[in-house]
Amino acid sequence: MKDLKVDSVGMIYEIPGGQAVEALKDVSFELEAGRLLTLLGPSGCGKTTLLNILAGFLAPTAGVVSLNDKRITKPGRDRGMVFQQGALFEWLSVAENISFGPRMNHKKSAEYAPRVEELLEIVGLAGFGDKQVYELSGGMQQRVALARCLANDPDIILMDEPLGALDALTREKMQGLILNIWKETGKTIVLVTHSVEEALYLGDRLFVMAPRPGRIHKDYTLPFAEQGLTADARELKKSPDFAEKREEILNMIWEMEEQIMGTGV
Amino acid sequence: MGILDRFSGKDGQNSRKTVTFGDAAAVRSLPFYSLIALIALIVFWWFATTPFGFDESFQNNVDLQFQASAEDSELRNEARLAEGKNGISIPFSDPMQRDYLAACEQAPRTEAEVPDAEEGVRDLMANGLKDLPDFEFSEAEIERRVGLVQTCDPDDYSQLVGPATMPSPGDTWTQFNRLRTTGFKNVTIWEHAGTSLWRVVRGMFFGSLIGIPIGFAMGLNSKLRGIFDTPVELFRPIPPLALLPLFIVWFGIGDGTAVNLLIFASVWIMIIAARAGARTVKLSKVRAAYSLGASKSQVLRRVILPNALPELFTGLRVALGVSWGTLVAAELVGAETGLGSMIFDARNNLRTDVVVVGIIVIAVIGVLMDVMMRFAESKLIPWRGKG
Repeated sequence: MKDLKVDSVGMIYEIPGGQAVEALKDVSFELEAGRLLTLLGPSGCGKTTLLNILAGFLAPTAGVVSLNDKRITKPGRDRGMVFQQGALFEWLSVAENISFGPRMNHKKSAEYAPRVEELLEIVGLAGFGDKQVYELSGGMQQRVALARCLANDPDIILMDEPLGALDALTREKMQGLILNIWKETGKTIVLVTHSVEEALYLGDRLFVMAPRPGRIHKDYTLPFAEQGLTADARELKKSPDFAEKREEILNMIWEMEEQIMGTGV
Repeated sequence: MGILDRFSGKDGQNSRKTVTFGDAAAVRSLPFYSLIALIALIVFWWFATTPFGFDESFQNNVDLQFQASAEDSELRNEARLAEGKNGISIPFSDPMQRDYLAACEQAPRTEAEVPDAEEGVRDLMANGLKDLPDFEFSEAEIERRVGLVQTCDPDDYSQLVGPATMPSPGDTWTQFNRLRTTGFKNVTIWEHAGTSLWRVVRGMFFGSLIGIPIGFAMGLNSKLRGIFDTPVELFRPIPPLALLPLFIVWFGIGDGTAVNLLIFASVWIMIIAARAGARTVKLSKVRAAYSLGASKSQVLRRVILPNALPELFTGLRVALGVSWGTLVAAELVGAETGLGSMIFDARNNLRTDVVVVGIIVIAVIGVLMDVMMRFAESKLIPWRGKG
């Protein structure tokens, strides 16, 4: 039972001035182990808030979140995080960054050193272990962040716009890497993104979220991630099925944005 | 975007955060604790002085000291009178213009008085300054000063320009070599510089030792932020030298005053630097560490501390500069050794060449210290500005 369960989760903030903002309202879903869920939606739809609740950084004001039937109340090793950028430790080398988790848990060098080499290989950074992270390009840094997260062998990997700061080409390569890692490790992944194409391509499940209050607007189950493991990414993204879904979701988000503007805010 | 930001309610989220240690946005000063701290400060002041403070014996002691210093100054006056034979105040006893003017007022006004005045000057220069055996005046200097007596004109400051007011580079170099080998009053300039440096090292060390933990505490905890905000904001604007008179009374002339003054000078800078350093840590770094299984103390030692190193180094560099400047000024009156006191002593004896050498040595040491810090910085925190 390595499932992620989200049951009637709500999140209300008090903002200065006494106003209450409903960032999430009555969000419920279950995600079986090994799925890749992407969260998509306009600004303010609560997708990052939801991710932070799953990570245990925020406690919801209503509802329960549990992983493997264990309630999530604080950050833990069973849930790895990959952030947009700048979350690596610049004072450590690439290998030291990757071994950070095992070292914090008092593992011995002999235990984690072979795994670090292995992970460097997996993310395509073999031989870069002794480099300093600030010497690497943005894409390479995100590879390190992925490896660092995998070193702890979490049950689920949470990604907060991991490719958001990368150029288009690097971004495509990294999407392939995420798919490969997903397949090879069988990890559950939840990924927040702004890019409709990315959400479609990577997610074998996709939530389009809507703002005010933040909620799941539409729940898709998609074939593209599975196909993407074998097919060419470019071809896949050009396929009629893909294009149709993309237009559908873009229109959906466009309407939401118009509604927000329309209410005079 | 601004509106959406407001609605996403960064302030609002704080109440729902499960871990706030290391999260700068979650730390703000709590005014209630600031008030407590202010009251505590005043109560401490009262307790520290009122019950044990100015009792009778202390008061008597103070009276005695005043008496002693009064007698002392009378003696000094007598000595001065004795120095100035023939009623001549010595125009070269002090390079300051006001002393020069005062001297001019007393300079001989009639032709008949001049030879007497000259004799007085010669006698004093040759025999009067017995406490300066190493600093015999050259014939030329004696002649110059005798001439000064004759031509003393309160309106003509240009007479003051000369070896006695601004030494030439050559004179300065000669004096430097003398200070290097035999020294001023038998204390070499290296010993003075060493004394001063050792004071700075101790002051900075204890200033950092106290300041860094307090700064981190303020950066990481709202209650401690509130508590320390009051003393930090109250004491930080005080120029350290303003406390010099008080410190001299408390710690006496010498190391105690100098080192404590430097602790005072550096501690606020280090607090601010450490506080800023603790707050520059990116939330995503802290969260990544927690997700990787780090405990609070591991987050502090392995993330917040190394992340704050660049800020701490900036603080150290600023504190070093301020300390060095403060020290030299403090030593002018607060100590009997060190570069500052050497300069002051030299000034009193009109050895401006010694003063200039002292100034140059101070400047060079200041530059060297900063170069050293920059070098250390590039070695210790190569990632600075590259994150």
